[in-house]
Amino acid sequence: MKLGFTPAEEAFRRECAAWLEAQLSGPFRAIRGATGLVACVEQRLAWERVLGRARWSVIGWPERYGGRDASLAEQVIFAEEYARAGAPGRMGHLGVELAGPTILHFGNDAQRERFLPKIAAGEEFWCQGYSEPNAGSDLAAVRTRARLEQGPRGAEWVIDGQKTWTSLAQFAQWIFTICRTEAGSRGPAGLSYLLVPMQQSGVTLRPIRQITGEEEFNEVFFDGARTPAEYCVGRPGDGWKVAMGTLAFERGVSTLAQQMRFRNEFEQLVAAARANGAARDPLIRQRIAEAWIGLRIMRYSALRMLSGGREGALPPEALTYKIYWATWRRRLGELAMDVLGPAAEIARAAPYEFDDLPRMFLASRSDTIYAGTNQIQRNIIAERALGLPKEPRGDR
Amino acid sequence: MQFTFSEEQAMAAQALRELLDDVCSGADLRALADGAAGHGTARWERLAAMGLPGALAPEAAGGMALTATDFVLLAEEAGRAALPEPLVAHAGVAVPMLAELAAAAARGNVAQALEQAAAGATIVIVADPCEPFSAGLDCARRVLAGAGPEQVGLFARDELSVSLQASLDPLQPLARVGVPAHRASLLPDQPALARALWQRARLRATAFAAAELLGLAARMVEIAVNYAGERRQFGRPIGSNQAVKHQLATVQVQLEFARPVVYAAAAMLADACTAPPESPVPALTEARIAQARLAAGAAADLAARTAIQVHGAIGYSWELDLQFYAKRAWALGVRHGERGALARRVQQLLLGGIIEPGPDRLFLN
Ligand SMILES: Cc1cc2nc3c(=O)[nH]c(=O)nc-3n(C[C@H](O)[C@H](O)[C@H](O)COP(=O)(O)OP(=O)(O)OC[C@H]3O[C@@H](n4cnc5c(N)ncnc54)[C@H](O)[C@@H]3O)c2cc1C
Repeated sequence: MKLGFTPAEEAFRRECAAWLEAQLSGPFRAIRGATGLVACVEQRLAWERVLGRARWSVIGWPERYGGRDASLAEQVIFAEEYARAGAPGRMGHLGVELAGPTILHFGNDAQRERFLPKIAAGEEFWCQGYSEPNAGSDLAAVRTRARLEQGPRGAEWVIDGQKTWTSLAQFAQWIFTICRTEAGSRGPAGLSYLLVPMQQSGVTLRPIRQITGEEEFNEVFFDGARTPAEYCVGRPGDGWKVAMGTLAFERGVSTLAQQMRFRNEFEQLVAAARANGAARDPLIRQRIAEAWIGLRIMRYSALRMLSGGREGALPPEALTYKIYWATWRRRLGELAMDVLGPAAEIARAAPYEFDDLPRMFLASRSDTIYAGTNQIQRNIIAERALGLPKEPRGDR
Repeated sequence: MQFTFSEEQAMAAQALRELLDDVCSGADLRALADGAAGHGTARWERLAAMGLPGALAPEAAGGMALTATDFVLLAEEAGRAALPEPLVAHAGVAVPMLAELAAAAARGNVAQALEQAAAGATIVIVADPCEPFSAGLDCARRVLAGAGPEQVGLFARDELSVSLQASLDPLQPLARVGVPAHRASLLPDQPALARALWQRARLRATAFAAAELLGLAARMVEIAVNYAGERRQFGRPIGSNQAVKHQLATVQVQLEFARPVVYAAAAMLADACTAPPESPVPALTEARIAQARLAAGAAADLAARTAIQVHGAIGYSWELDLQFYAKRAWALGVRHGERGALARRVQQLLLGGIIEPGPDRLFLN
């Protein structure tokens, strides 16, 4: 057990900080602190490319694919400095945090060579095509079908069906998706994990507006969409295992960056409470203290979780992590509203655009839903961590 | 002692519910929010035809001379429908204040304004000088406002500087109201009375907001219960999972326990309003109203959070009508005194010597 950092690691910290400061007080000044996922898109896409060129995009990846082979300590440091500098939320996060690690871990060499450098360079963006209208919590109920066909360019998957709630699909060149490739199969069996190009006539989008007023997620329709046979990650029919691996990455190193975002939000909230006098209210003071305790708990939990796991397989304590942060942030959102009082109600701009804290309140209504709802998380903890009997299903 | 509503009271609420089901559906709210429809003058006329704008106005002014106890159920129905027009602010807060001003023989044409307001011909809004923003100014023709809490003026909306701003609640923009300093108060020699009138207006606004929050909470539970019965995952309705059922049952418990607190506060408010306006509102009444507002606000917050959760991702989308009820609840939740200030009122009641604590005293009032 050692909590501090070595002199070499501290030097690395200074290097990160200096680079970030130069960029964010220079060419990227305008997007310093940008949070909402769909604000200032062009500049943020440019920022992803600059991060990539300087090899700061995916430092934990092997050098050969655009990373730095960074240690866990270095990844922690970079995440801290990134947030401290007020660098913008990562537009590329679905590629960097989900698609990339999945391909790195479960893909073959050809797939790694084809996809990873483009993700690292900020040249290709990804979205996640899991959920369907009738497959939300029950993800294994997906119905989108794919069949192999001999086409003019060789064997191809031909895909028909619909995905929904697909975040950032409007900016993505690729979607990683699970489809039913064995006709007549049910549940987790017979699914395959396919990588599909978005810019083709067989793929159409319909943006869905969120309660924040933004259009961040979408419906994605596949009507005879095509992708080469070799863009299946893992063996055909083994898609469920790969999909679960991706979900584990969702709770992996990316949690560090997320925590630092939380910390920024917390600090913004405290500043607002000081500025408007809410910080003198004993009820608010108490809740601020509780929120800070929660932040520390998350930090130590994440460090423990990341130190203990093997790649692609998180230790059992990781099962408890999602519900903790989701519930914490939902509460932080509510605290922000109470700190701001009536000022929280006023939109920054019509028709429906809010300052960071009220926006965070609205956005935090979704934390306990995406990436596994709180109820599903509790089922997972009860069944997988505690070994309680499985819930009965209605249909099997 | 009788802790029930009369048949007439219940019937009036039922009639309003039926009217609002008809003219204030989720689809109507969406049309307004998306700019596809303007404010419902037709809707307001139907409300006026029921006499509701003048519910609390004296009969002499053409009103129904109802009390806060009668009105609390109507406010609950307005909440339940997330009614965009300011029926509660007008009939529950502005009209009684106009009536009090008229009775205090204030200068100006207050009596006539009262009659027009009671008939629903003009919408009047109270812009409390102690609140930063007011809702309902997009609909109002007249405004009760003051350059400070010791002044009261009745203004045409155009005489004021009113900057409407989009709000968390897409159906009710808010406005900061600027009052011209040179206009004389309607109560030039009675600053204490002016203060008392503002205080009463604030108490009515708070108590009736509590009632609206009850209605909103009940509506959100209803919507979530319906969805939980229809939506299927894992081969069965999601509502057959205890994890879903228990969440909704927990809201129901909070809601049913908030209800009587709000009703009792309304009854105490009605009592307090029979006294002449310059006599101070009993501290106990004030504390009870604060308590009711806290209880109803907690129920509505929990209802909003739970209803969204039960819907999953679609609960987070703009496409579901649920958002209108949730957003009204959040918006009301940060108005009329923040939670801390309300809780301090209750603390003062208990610890500040307003009522003596002790087993023999605590439940007397
Ligand atoms: C902001 C946001 C972004 C998203 N982005 C993406 C994306 O990019 N790609 C993607 O594929 N998906 C995405 N999703 C979808 C997300 O994964 C689903 O919302 C989630 O899996 C829940 O599914 P559902 O919304 O269909 O809810 P449902 O599964 O219908 O659940 C509804 C309610 O029932 C409860 N419930 C269901 N089953 C049980 C049970 N067995 N026991 C107890 N309770 C149960 C749930 O907890 C929930 O409260 C996103 C969602 C949100 C909100």
